[in-house]
Amino acid sequence: MMRVAIVDDEELARKVLREYLGAFGDVEIVAECANGFEAVKAVTDLKPELLLLDIQMPRLDGFEVLELIGREVGVVFVTAYDKYALRAFEVHAVDYLLKPFSSDRLRQALDRARDRIQARQLLPIEDLTASARPPGGRVERVLIRDGANVHVLPVGKIDYAEAQDDYVCFRSEGKRYLKQQTLSDAEAVLDPSQFVRIHRSYILNIERLAKLELYAKDSHAAILRDGTRLPVSRSGYARLTSVLR
Amino acid sequence: MHPILTNRVRTALYFASWIPVTALLTAVVTRGGQMPLTEAAVMLVPMCVLYAFVCQASWYLCQTLPLREGQTVRLLGTHATAAVVSSAAWVGIGFLWAFLAGPSFQFDGIVDRYLAQLPILFFSGVLLFLLAVAFNYLLITFEVGQRAEQKALEMQVLAREAELKALRAQIDPHFLFNSLNSINALIMADPAAARRMCVLLADFLRGCLKLGSAERISLGEEIQLAEHYLGIEKVRLGARLAVESEIDEECRNCGVPPLILQPLIENAITHGIAPMLEGGVIRIEARHHGALMKIVVENPFEKNGTKHGAGVGINNVKMRLANLFNGEARLDVDETGGRFRIELQLPCDES
Repeated sequence: MMRVAIVDDEELARKVLREYLGAFGDVEIVAECANGFEAVKAVTDLKPELLLLDIQMPRLDGFEVLELIGREVGVVFVTAYDKYALRAFEVHAVDYLLKPFSSDRLRQALDRARDRIQARQLLPIEDLTASARPPGGRVERVLIRDGANVHVLPVGKIDYAEAQDDYVCFRSEGKRYLKQQTLSDAEAVLDPSQFVRIHRSYILNIERLAKLELYAKDSHAAILRDGTRLPVSRSGYARLTSVLR
Repeated sequence: MHPILTNRVRTALYFASWIPVTALLTAVVTRGGQMPLTEAAVMLVPMCVLYAFVCQASWYLCQTLPLREGQTVRLLGTHATAAVVSSAAWVGIGFLWAFLAGPSFQFDGIVDRYLAQLPILFFSGVLLFLLAVAFNYLLITFEVGQRAEQKALEMQVLAREAELKALRAQIDPHFLFNSLNSINALIMADPAAARRMCVLLADFLRGCLKLGSAERISLGEEIQLAEHYLGIEKVRLGARLAVESEIDEECRNCGVPPLILQPLIENAITHGIAPMLEGGVIRIEARHHGALMKIVVENPFEKNGTKHGAGVGINNVKMRLANLFNGEARLDVDETGGRFRIELQLPCDES
């Protein structure tokens, strides 16, 4: 038996999947989720092997769900039409279902997904989410998973990000949020006119900068509005001044 | 057509610019008492009027010899020859004038005094001619640039209109495939509902095809199309979508450009209701205000959603209104208080 979770915000779309899967016999539906938050919770609590994941959903879209939990579960994408998503799937040779689809097509997608899961083949998550974004698009919020919960940080509310081993720690409104990501990956998706890599271990939201102090020869410290001091490296100082100019 | 002599203001300006030239030449020939002032004026005023025309004739020469690279020598040669010939003819005519007019004005020895000024007048003549040539080239280049700019602008307007025409006939593929998927789901669960949905979808598609090609339709027809669309989306989104509408009866007969409301309603769904977990209410209102009609489309939206605010659809509607009503129609967007509100004001011509 393959344990499957359905993730789609439309009741009728879930109904078709339920009907098709019910006839297969070797598939068990362990969860039906109407949005991305429920999907994250279902994956944490119920550990399905496969998600049938819709792309366009409220609050968290399919790619954001993938970014949050894609390492723990197999995914088959389902979409009606999305120009950027379809191109991303083609580029990375990822299987997907186009609504409406036949029961045979669903069977085929499930079999392929099962083979991939058994071969421990993971989806190229970062590449896929990057190429599904509209050209030149930057993220407007950062998603942090905390067990079964998801925190949504609008980028404007992030003060700075700090590298901590395999994690990035985002500081926002006095709280700290850990995300499993490299600082370079975080840097790549944030708007470079607002977020500057001031140091090997720090990315700063320049709207929080109060002043720059000369710290020692060749090194500066950034003083934030709330008084936090962050180190600024020599190359970080050059990047900062070029953005501020 | 000659750019200066065919325009009265330019002609007047051009001849006015010859007044200082005439004064300068008069000053030159009277320097150190070589020619009395009255005599110089009698000689130079008619000569300068004549030469003003001659110099303008150089425009035709410039027109037949456009500035091109690799033809500098030929160009310079031709204009230099033309300048020398024109100036020679000019001072020759001046000589005749001195010879004929001298006796009647009782200027004794004018011919000799004129001959003494001949070299400097000839030199001035060549220079003035070449100056006119340079000026004409400047004028030609400027006019060519201006014409190209105007043409580019016209092309842009045409392209935009074609683009908008294509856009308004376009049906959102996301909507179409989702609707088919809903029908697919209903076929087993609720065949009667599947059939209703098929009819709604057919009515909507037919409406788009028919109305998209019309010049003007009534607001009533446009509203009916929106009702088909919202009916389909209600099946898909279920309880998440609710619609409230208040349409003044007298508005229904007002003529509107086809599919002017449809993009706004689609926007309210795709950027407003669909990205919200709990959905919300779309409000549509049409009111009659004298010769004007006010249409409001209002929906809630998710503040930190994946998509928010206005899509390209609204800008297209704005541009179409600007093109079709020359500033007599307006579209205002208000985003305060978590609600997205579009207000459309159109002149209402009942048809």
